[in-house]
Amino acid sequence: MNQNCDLLTLRSVSKSYGTVPVLYDIDLAIRDGEFLTVLGPSGSGKTTVLRLIGGLEPLTSGEIRLDGQDISDMPINRRPFNTVFQDYALFPHLTVAGNVGYGLSVRHVARKEIAERVAKALELVQLGRFTERFPAQLSGGQRQRVALARALICQPRLVLLDEPLAALDLELRRQMQEFLKSIQREVKTTFLFVTHDQEEAIGMADRICVMEAGHIRQLGTPHELYYKPNCEFVARFFGENNLVAGTLGETRGEFRAIETALGRLVCSVADQPHLKAAATGARGFAAFRPEALHLAGDGDAGNRFSGAIADLAFAGSSTVATITAGGDAAQRLRLRFPSRMDGSVLRAGETVALSFAPHEGHLVLA
Amino acid sequence: MSSAGLGRPIAFRWSPLVTALAFALPVVFVLAPLAIFLVYSFFSVDQGQIVYAPTLANYLRFFTDPVFLPVFWRTIVLCLSVAAISILLAYPTAYFLTTLHGRWRYVLLMLLMVPLLMSYVIKIYAIRSILGLNGFLNKALVGLGIIAEPSTLFVFNMNAILLTLTLLLIPFAILPIFLALERIPQVLLSASHDLGASNLQTFLRITLPLSLPGVASAASFVFVLAIGDFLTPQMVGGISGFTFGRILYSQFGTAFNWPFGAALSVALAMVVIAAILAGERFGRNRGASL
Repeated sequence: MNQNCDLLTLRSVSKSYGTVPVLYDIDLAIRDGEFLTVLGPSGSGKTTVLRLIGGLEPLTSGEIRLDGQDISDMPINRRPFNTVFQDYALFPHLTVAGNVGYGLSVRHVARKEIAERVAKALELVQLGRFTERFPAQLSGGQRQRVALARALICQPRLVLLDEPLAALDLELRRQMQEFLKSIQREVKTTFLFVTHDQEEAIGMADRICVMEAGHIRQLGTPHELYYKPNCEFVARFFGENNLVAGTLGETRGEFRAIETALGRLVCSVADQPHLKAAATGARGFAAFRPEALHLAGDGDAGNRFSGAIADLAFAGSSTVATITAGGDAAQRLRLRFPSRMDGSVLRAGETVALSFAPHEGHLVLA
Repeated sequence: MSSAGLGRPIAFRWSPLVTALAFALPVVFVLAPLAIFLVYSFFSVDQGQIVYAPTLANYLRFFTDPVFLPVFWRTIVLCLSVAAISILLAYPTAYFLTTLHGRWRYVLLMLLMVPLLMSYVIKIYAIRSILGLNGFLNKALVGLGIIAEPSTLFVFNMNAILLTLTLLLIPFAILPIFLALERIPQVLLSASHDLGASNLQTFLRITLPLSLPGVASAASFVFVLAIGDFLTPQMVGGISGFTFGRILYSQFGTAFNWPFGAALSVALAMVVIAAILAGERFGRNRGASL
């Protein structure tokens, strides 16, 4: 499958329930064969996007195209997509085999072929021995895999997954994440995965589409979203981040200055022409990750300032220090550093010199 | 904390009494009368006096006398028909109710249940006036030119009993079917459509099988209520509409043969128990509950 070819495109899609708008003019292109995650807080419209594509709800305006063909009015049972529902929606009166084979049997596929394909699909999700069980006799993780096999058996062009891991406990969720990803690679089908859990999104997606309040805020690889968020919402929502408000200063090559309560900070604007072009004096944020912030050594160049350690939180492999810096306009910053067996080198209350390198900071427009 | 500490001994003191009552009530009001009937069925009557000596004569009479068994079977067939017709009418009604949204669904359900609030006898009288030879139904049919003269097809016979019982008992069929349909999660229907099924396929493969427990309870409700009824056959059955309930009634009333009446009730109770067990058996979801 060619990842650069668009499978499905949404063009200025809007959706309202009565007079309440939930999606505003969404444009989105899903590439063939990719694992695309739609990420957003609850109420952002991410599930609505999925329901519109699946055909569970009609569009208010706009169109959805599959291979260039408008499918906006195609009924749900004709669309070559299958859904893994949030609570699996397994049919309680059918066995695992009955559930998985359902999509084939309603299409009048021969019984023998159904049995073969069901066996294969269950083999794929490692449930070969459970054919004759009923859903109530399975664990959460097993039901999840039945739902996945049921969605995959009709060889859909696109698999829609509606927060399918939300009901599982943490350990099982991690396993299922890896499992989903490996299955997706094996069957080479396009997956559209909806979640509110950014860690889940980073771990699985080829690309992530961040949504908020009915708008798409940013679409890109996890790396792009993490290091080059294009707005304050994405910068705050996606992973832990330090944001310091200020006004944009001059551009020098791939870097640009910003005047903040911490003094003048210099951050990278590489590959982000809109930041280079923004007017001097525009409101913005310097953004840098907790792991980019260091205790300043004597030789450190770059952005230096001092701050007081307000709190230390041990988090296993790393320790996170909460720091107050910037005097009157106090900023709370987070500093993450590897934990040591013999205890932290820092003490709460201590004042320390801090720095981050210009190429590890970036700018976000307010 | 302290109020919970005070509350507990009181609840503790009362709970054995509540438990005892919960078991005592069914024992006193259900099991004991049934047991007395069972015992009576082995007695006999001699010149209006009950003879308290155990005998199987009543049962022998029930199985050998050419009168009783045919009426017994005919009554069972009648009540099965009532149950079947009730379900055929109640299922679409209940299904229609579940397609309504919001308040309308419950308003309509309440309206369908209103007949249950009316006196049984009044309803039968009302139906009698509809069914009679000069009743509303015949007049309407003649008036519309569908039939030339009043029909005797549903006047004081088995058909009249069938019609009346169905009319009276249909709310008992609608309710369990409605509840079973309403309990089916919408997402299962979405999942079925999503997997390519048409509306009809979704109904036949998902909705119908998942609502069968409700259908089974409805059938056993209606059957049991119909078979125990003697008043309806008495009032609309005329001479030809003779049911087992009427025989039973006459044994306790006019014939004053309590032991034989008790034996007939035991036979009827067996059928009722079988119907309830069958309803229970089919009412259970295959595999598991939702």
